[in-house]
Amino acid sequence: MISTPERIQLLTEACSHQEVQRWTGCITSDDLNAWLSSELGSALALDKFLPHGPLHSKAIAPKCILHIVSGNTPHAAFQSIIRGLLIGSHNIVKIPATGLHPFTDALEHFPKPLRELIETHNTLEDKDWLKADVVIAIGSDESIAAIHQKTKPDQQFIPHGHKVSIAIAYDDYENAAQLAARDVSLHNQQGCLSIHAIYSRGDSKHFAELLAMEMEKFCVNNPPSPISTSEAGAIRILRETTRFCASNDSSTQLWESKDTLNWTVIHQDEPTLQLSCLNRCVYVKPLPPRLDNDILGTQSAYLSTIAIHPFDKAEATSLENLSAHRICPLGKSQQPSLFWHHDGIAPIASLVKWKDIG
Amino acid sequence: MSSNTSISTLVSDRIGLALSGNPILDDDFNSLALQIFEHQYQKNRAYQNFCLALEISPDRTNHWHDIPALPTEAFKIEPFPLVTFPMEQAKTTFLTSGTTTEARGMHYFRSTKLYDHSIVSAWHELNLPDARRSVFLIAHPEQSPQSSLSHMMGVISDQLATQSTWLLHQSGSIDYNSLISAIKDQQAVALFGTALSFLHLFDSMESPLTLPAGSWAMETGGYKGTKHQLTKGDLHQLFKTKLGLDSDSIINEYSMTELSSQFYSPGLDRPHQGPSWTRTRIIDPLTNTDAKPGELGHLVIYDLANVDSAMAIRTQDLAIQCQTNLEQKNTSFNLIGRDPSALPRGCSRSSDESLSL
Repeated sequence: MISTPERIQLLTEACSHQEVQRWTGCITSDDLNAWLSSELGSALALDKFLPHGPLHSKAIAPKCILHIVSGNTPHAAFQSIIRGLLIGSHNIVKIPATGLHPFTDALEHFPKPLRELIETHNTLEDKDWLKADVVIAIGSDESIAAIHQKTKPDQQFIPHGHKVSIAIAYDDYENAAQLAARDVSLHNQQGCLSIHAIYSRGDSKHFAELLAMEMEKFCVNNPPSPISTSEAGAIRILRETTRFCASNDSSTQLWESKDTLNWTVIHQDEPTLQLSCLNRCVYVKPLPPRLDNDILGTQSAYLSTIAIHPFDKAEATSLENLSAHRICPLGKSQQPSLFWHHDGIAPIASLVKWKDIG
Repeated sequence: MSSNTSISTLVSDRIGLALSGNPILDDDFNSLALQIFEHQYQKNRAYQNFCLALEISPDRTNHWHDIPALPTEAFKIEPFPLVTFPMEQAKTTFLTSGTTTEARGMHYFRSTKLYDHSIVSAWHELNLPDARRSVFLIAHPEQSPQSSLSHMMGVISDQLATQSTWLLHQSGSIDYNSLISAIKDQQAVALFGTALSFLHLFDSMESPLTLPAGSWAMETGGYKGTKHQLTKGDLHQLFKTKLGLDSDSIINEYSMTELSSQFYSPGLDRPHQGPSWTRTRIIDPLTNTDAKPGELGHLVIYDLANVDSAMAIRTQDLAIQCQTNLEQKNTSFNLIGRDPSALPRGCSRSSDESLSL
């Protein structure tokens, strides 16, 4: 088996390739060492017994991890596989039927010893299920439930279900709008970390207007990727329904890209969190005096990230009662730290088991 | 006579005329559609405001194509009811299906006279089969007064049938014995139900039946919100196995609470056809213009019988313009089904199809 320092070296090499780095961000060996130390107490915890109170303990990686990934964006697939490779497990990746080319293509840039630890499949056979010590599932709640039913009691199950993210603009609207446009637009809003609604303190309509301008500007250098008939239909329906409301009630206002479906900004006074139809459609709402799960409504249970501007630890801490597991600076919602607790789960520590001596 | 009544009468009379061999041809349709547009624009402030936001008004509109279509979602917005009469005059309200937490679309009627006339007249104009001996797998209108489908069945029972059998109990159970009684004299029956109610019937049958010769079935609705996902071919196979009905004896009905007219497709892989007081467009949502022939788009329906609400409706259903008959270019379409993006989604909801385990 390759040692942890060797795997770190190989992973750093893989992540330095442009096609991989595009999705993983820049990852150095220092980052990986620090990450392991943070989660397991030491970067060498998987290689030897280390003092642990009165004992000596060694982290044991699962022999095989089954990653069932979704097709909305390849980010989660990259994050999941990097975790599996870092701890040295064999990895079976179930690719969506529609394919996940950015991911499968990028795997070719991984050094051979790492590639040998990865299998990708479009369909899963019983033997693949049986081989897995850990099953990581990324998908809709219905899919997660179906996968959970297939797992055996001795298989560890790590679900990453339906999630949405929101933002709060407290002040400094010009910068907030620019940063929000980026967080909303990146990856066409397809990910769990994509912003669906922005709550704005103060003149939320003015903020919505600024955001609309920034959405347009962002499109100039970052045009949205092509969308399907169905996705386009969802945007049209959203726009026409909003237009109907806006034409009858000043609490709703609509800004939209002219002659295209590139972006849509909707202002609504009503604070309940609504899901966007994705593809750069975002709601702006006034920030209520007290933002809690009741005010956000049923979708609050699915909160992943709250991106705030200006970022302030005290403001961030004041949001800890919301169900989101991550509160980050606006403009960074789509780039979680390697160290983040994905859906509240420590991504490395949750995979390993421990062996004690003493 | 109020303008509502006069325009309703005008449309009703014209529909009546369609039955005596004078279908509503394009020019006639256009003229009526423009009059209804003017009427709805003048009488419904919410719709007028919508049109103003689009900078479209009756005095600058010459073709029904250009009449603004409201999304079906607009029927769910309670503060702005889509009516051309004072709300206190509403006698009947049909609600779209939905859960208690979902907003439900509301279609208000001061009178269902034109609505009923549309159902019966379309039946004759489109040469739909004999419904004299009807068996319903749908709740009786008294059980479900807010269901437009139950109302439609009531109209069929009252105006087209001479013998009606209602199989669905208030509890939701199916009275299988009544079906046996209805066919014991070996005379043909017309069987009406939703696709789901037929599945329930098939599940409850201990052994297959062979319906009397000449019998036929009308099924409607999909499997939204259920675990069932059958293709139309699979459903027809069940009709064959369980009731002895061939595809040619099965008609699919397509309509919605927001409309006052229906579209019908006999057998498999045939287009849906509406009566001559309807027109349809297939809009490519990417360009918001007519989809190219053979290409997928959103179905937009213009229903003259919707005098009291909104004549032009933008649905969330995907369809392809029928190419087989140029004369029917705007009255028939190949229905593909509910747009999968119709529901709002979050992360991973879009990826459900990927998880073919």
